[in-house]
Order: sequence, then C-alpha cells, then structure tokens
Amino acid sequence: MKDKVKEVLANLLKVKIEELKDDLPLSASIGVDSTEMVESVIALEKSFGVKLNIKEITKNSTINDIANNIQEKLAQ
Amino acid sequence: MEKIAVTGIGVVSPSGIGKRQFWANIKSGRSFIKKITRFDASKYPSHIAGQIDDLEKYSHISERLLKKIDAFSHMALVASELAMQDAGIDIRNEDPNLVGIFLGNAIGGWLYAETELRDLYLEGREGVSPYMASAWFPAAPQGQVSIYYGIKGFSKTVVSDRASSLMALGYARKVLYKNKLNMILAGGMEAPVTPYALLCCNTYGALSTHNEDPQAAYRPFDKQRSGFVIGEGAGIVVMESIERAKKRGANILGYIAGYGTSCDGIDRINPSSDGKELARAISMALNDAGINPQDIGYISLDGLAVDIWDNSEIKALELVFGENLKKIPVSCPKSMFGNLLGASGALDMIIAFLSMEHSLVPPILNLDTPVLNGINYVAKEAREYKAAKALVISRGRGGINSVLVVEKP
Repeated sequence: MKDKVKEVLANLLKVKIEELKDDLPLSASIGVDSTEMVESVIALEKSFGVKLNIKEITKNSTINDIANNIQEKLAQ
Repeated sequence: MEKIAVTGIGVVSPSGIGKRQFWANIKSGRSFIKKITRFDASKYPSHIAGQIDDLEKYSHISERLLKKIDAFSHMALVASELAMQDAGIDIRNEDPNLVGIFLGNAIGGWLYAETELRDLYLEGREGVSPYMASAWFPAAPQGQVSIYYGIKGFSKTVVSDRASSLMALGYARKVLYKNKLNMILAGGMEAPVTPYALLCCNTYGALSTHNEDPQAAYRPFDKQRSGFVIGEGAGIVVMESIERAKKRGANILGYIAGYGTSCDGIDRINPSSDGKELARAISMALNDAGINPQDIGYISLDGLAVDIWDNSEIKALELVFGENLKKIPVSCPKSMFGNLLGASGALDMIIAFLSMEHSLVPPILNLDTPVLNGINYVAKEAREYKAAKALVISRGRGGINSVLVVEKP
C-alpha cells in the first residue's frame, strides 16, 4: 500500500520516490503546496478506486497516514 | 523625466535564446518563420509561425514546476534568468521588497487553458488540473517569476494587446524614477502557437496566409504584403537607476529615456488612418526624453503588414519628422521571427539596444517594393549605421499607441 501511494505521488508531483518519507508530513519531505494536495487526492482516488476526504488527507499527512486512511476506506 | 539604465538582456525567441545567439541571427537577416509543427495546423488559413522548439535546453525549471505552468510562464522564467545573468545580478543579494516585475502580455497561456478545458468537457470537473486557474491568466508569468526568485516588490502586468510589453517598460521606468524600487525585471512574453490561440489570431483577419513560402510571408511595408505572422517568446531586461548601476559596476547596455502613449479612439480593431494619435505619442516620448526629432538615429517600426496599420504608421512619422524622415534608417526586424504580440515591443527594444551597440541596423525582410517611397528602409540585409538614440513603436488593436525613446550609453 505504502509503495503504491509513493508511486502515485512521485509520478504525479514529479519528485523522486526516495524523497517521500513514511513518517514525515508531505509539507516537510517535499514541500507540497495546497494545490498539489488537491491534485494528489484526486490521483489517489483514481488509483485506489476510493472516495477520500480532502480534510483527512492534507499536507500535514505522512505516507503512513495516507496509506492507513486509504486502507480504512477500502475496508468500509 | 530621468533616464533609466538597462543592464541585462534576456531573450527567448524563434531567432535564438540568449542575446548572443539572437543577435547573430538578427544581424544575418535570417528568417525563422516556418510551418507550424507543434500540432496539425494545416486547416487554419494561416499555419505558419515563429516557433521555439528547444526551450528545455536552456531551462533549469524542474518538471514539478513545469507541469503547473503554461509555456509563456516558462519563457518568462528563462528570459528572467538570462537577463539577471547578463546583468551580473545575484537575486539573493537584493532586498526582495525593492525588486519589481513589470511584464506585458496580450492573450494569456492558452496551451494550458485549452487542454484543460477540453478535459473539463470530456471528463468533467475532476478532469481539470487544479493549476488551470493559476496557469493561464496573463499575470501568471509575473507570479511565477516572483515566486521563483522570492521577489516581493511593487509589480504589474500590462494587458494592452500588442503594445503590452512596451507599456510595461514605460511603466517600469516611471516607477524606478520615483525611487520606489531598486531594480525591475521588465518586458513581456507571449505563446500564441497553440490550436485555440492560433484560431483567434486567424479570426482577427490580419494574418498572412502565404503558407507556401513561410519565409516570404511577413513583408511589412511591401506592396505584396498580406498581413503579419505570429511568433512566440519573451524579452525581459533588468532596469535600474543609472546611479545604482554605476555604483555596482554594472555594464550599462542602454537607457530608456522617454515614453509616450495615446489611444486613437476610432474603431474596435483598426487604428485611425491619419496617424495623428501615434504622432502625438511619438512627440510625447521625444519631449519626455528632452530631445528633438532630428536626434533620432534609428526607428523600429511596428510594421503589422496590413495596409491601414503600415500606412498610418508612416503618416505619423511624416507628421513628426517631416523631411528629416528620409535621413533616418527605419526597420522592422520582427519580419524575421514573427510578431510576438504582447511581447513584440520588448524584443524590438532589445534589438534597438543591440543595434546601437554594434552600429548595425538589422533589416526588414521581404521588402521588395516599398509601398511608400522616400522612406529610408533598411531592407534585405543589415546596414552599418551609428545611432545614439532610437525610437521604438508598438501598437495594439483599436489604436493603442506606445512609444519608447532609447539611448546608447
């Protein structure tokens, strides 16, 4: 799950996979901005086939947070 | 009003990127007008242009940023970098609050906009990039340049059709004169070689449809003229007070000495045929520079290659310069690379500076049979000529007149 999240974000935001840290907020690891987060949530929704909440996945989220959030949505 | 120094030139054009390559091509009188290859434009009445194909080679902009911006912002970023390199400016050593950006643009960033609008209708709301809103509008390059360099001073984007960038330069001079800023990046950018923008330019009805021989299509002031050809690119310069430029030991490339502007107020598209308002703008610029018409050694023409525009331009010159006009070399170098619309004036000013520096007036291409005789056209090839002061004319739809007086240092 985490690897796929990283792959989606790296492809979308044109950053290297190793720049994305499991336990660092996206704002700290890659300096993501709010518009990039809008784009990221849409891309993750398409990739995982789930409806995500933009208030739950923010620039303060880590890769772990995002993967857990998607996992929870998939389980519902 | 006081003169303002230009200390760095950044140019991104079909005739070359960077001032050396650009000038080498301009002085050789080589045409860079070609059939459009970026997309299938063959069904458009005019499908030729001055196109830039190798911007990436000169660019340090990350892929991450490139996907958020339109080509016209990319061009402005590269031109800004080249201008500051040329001026020996390290932006990190500047007070960001005292650096400004004054740019001109006519149509916005349509390559981005039209792609996303297509997605809007095909895929719905979620198909549209969230960057669309900040990528397409005419002030986007100003924003991107300010973010990229951390520039925070008073800045503006001028949208005034083809006169936009010359107006931005005139405005920037006024702001520097008032000591509001230390330094300004000023000029313009335009990227009209896109399916929708080209369609709009075609609808305007003033483009040459001489597609079979692209290099001979743009022929200002020639009897066989059939309209202009679009081009894309950016021209941005570093402007600062003479005092500051000298203090930091900068190489002064020229001065912006006078500015004049007026409106014809006659028609939605066409200028007034009598050239009186353009003449008034020219006189205004000369007065502002504190010089007489006979002091001008070179005139850079707007040269739209449309009857009413070319003829009224010459009428305006006759009104201001009278008999003396015959002595002054006039040219329209954009016939080599296309009309960069909102960025055209900035390129013309840059060429005027390079011409004065090298004592060489570049040619108007394709001027086989001038419509009006008795004008000192520099046709076909560059001519050696020492000019100390030049006049640059830029005009927009509906009769917007913008004129700069520039001087050799």
